Amino acid sequence: MSREQNRSPLEAADDHIVAGRAADGDPTAFAVLVRRHTPVMRAYARRILHGTADVDDVVQDAFITAWEQLPTLADPARVRSWLMRITARKAIDRLRATRVHADVTDLEIPAPEGTSPQARAEARAGVAALSDALQHLPDAQRQVWVLRELGGGTYSEIAEQLDTSESTVRGLLARARKDIIVRMEQWR
Amino acid sequence: MNEHDTPDARILGLEPEDLDGHTIEELSDYLEAGCRPPDPAIDESPGCRIALEALERLRRLSPELLAADAEAEPEPDDSWVQRILSGIALDAHSGRRIPITVPVANADLGITEGAVRGLIRATENALPGVLIGKSRFDGDVTVPGEPVRIQLDVSVPYGEPIPGLVDRLRHEIDVRLRDHTTLHITAVDITVHDIRRLPDPTEEDR
Repeated sequence: MSREQNRSPLEAADDHIVAGRAADGDPTAFAVLVRRHTPVMRAYARRILHGTADVDDVVQDAFITAWEQLPTLADPARVRSWLMRITARKAIDRLRATRVHADVTDLEIPAPEGTSPQARAEARAGVAALSDALQHLPDAQRQVWVLRELGGGTYSEIAEQLDTSESTVRGLLARARKDIIVRMEQWR
Repeated sequence: MNEHDTPDARILGLEPEDLDGHTIEELSDYLEAGCRPPDPAIDESPGCRIALEALERLRRLSPELLAADAEAEPEPDDSWVQRILSGIALDAHSGRRIPITVPVANADLGITEGAVRGLIRATENALPGVLIGKSRFDGDVTVPGEPVRIQLDVSVPYGEPIPGLVDRLRHEIDVRLRDHTTLHITAVDITVHDIRRLPDPTEEDR
């Protein structure tokens, strides 16, 4: 992959410096955050959305909200997990919107299986088995598992995001873990 | 408990009857609490131990999955970055208006907090390798003559004596702010947040 031109010296600085500076209104620093965290935000959104084509829109929306809210970020060094939380919110909003329109037009365009970035990622066996198990989970279980395990969300955050109760989240998470473990054992 | 040598037969048993009455939800909580305080009823149950191990394996694998997914995503190109930058309001963080006192009647001059931060950041151009992070103003910048303390985070290059570098930076900031504002700066507190090894210039032309 060829390196882009016009790289900022800020690329070498850590998130504490870069996010602190972006919060002060420096678009150059914000561009560095965009470059640095786009891949993980895309990957995360892709896992939540599961085969819809809205990943880029979700990540773009997340960054625009992040720019507006950066001054409220207490610890700039933790910008990555903060961006992940915003990504989750945007992805879930998107899912809701899609669900409403689902019977009008078919907005869910499944990603072509073999060529998705996830498919390419599955080099190592354990990761591949986990990825496979996730694909087979029912939507609600998969969303809860992804928000918890990949996003690091708390039970109450996830309950709020999915508009449900904490006990439902716990139940779904336990079932998701059970299903994943059983399927991964079979995969071996 | 006569199945010691055939763990495979029980490996998929994740129902309460396989877990001596415990549930996966309970075991997940136990694992998240670092298996503290120890619960002998769980620790001494072979079924629970097998389930705990499987849960632990899964927990270790999750960040690896995210890392592998992220690695498989294309590197964001300039057009993607531009697409996002074109959607943000560049003046979103201009902040408070800082008055500039001038010895002229009826003049009302001011500069935004964001612009002053920009001035502070620009001082890094005079000190190669220094990168300025967040800056804060302690004191009411909207009232002329109020004492204001400036705090900032910086990243510095490896190999350069830090005290001298910080003194030069403080001096630069002082000069710039005196030239462009009428702020009454009482101190510039600089926190060196990290030290970076600069890329070897001989490796630049790859």
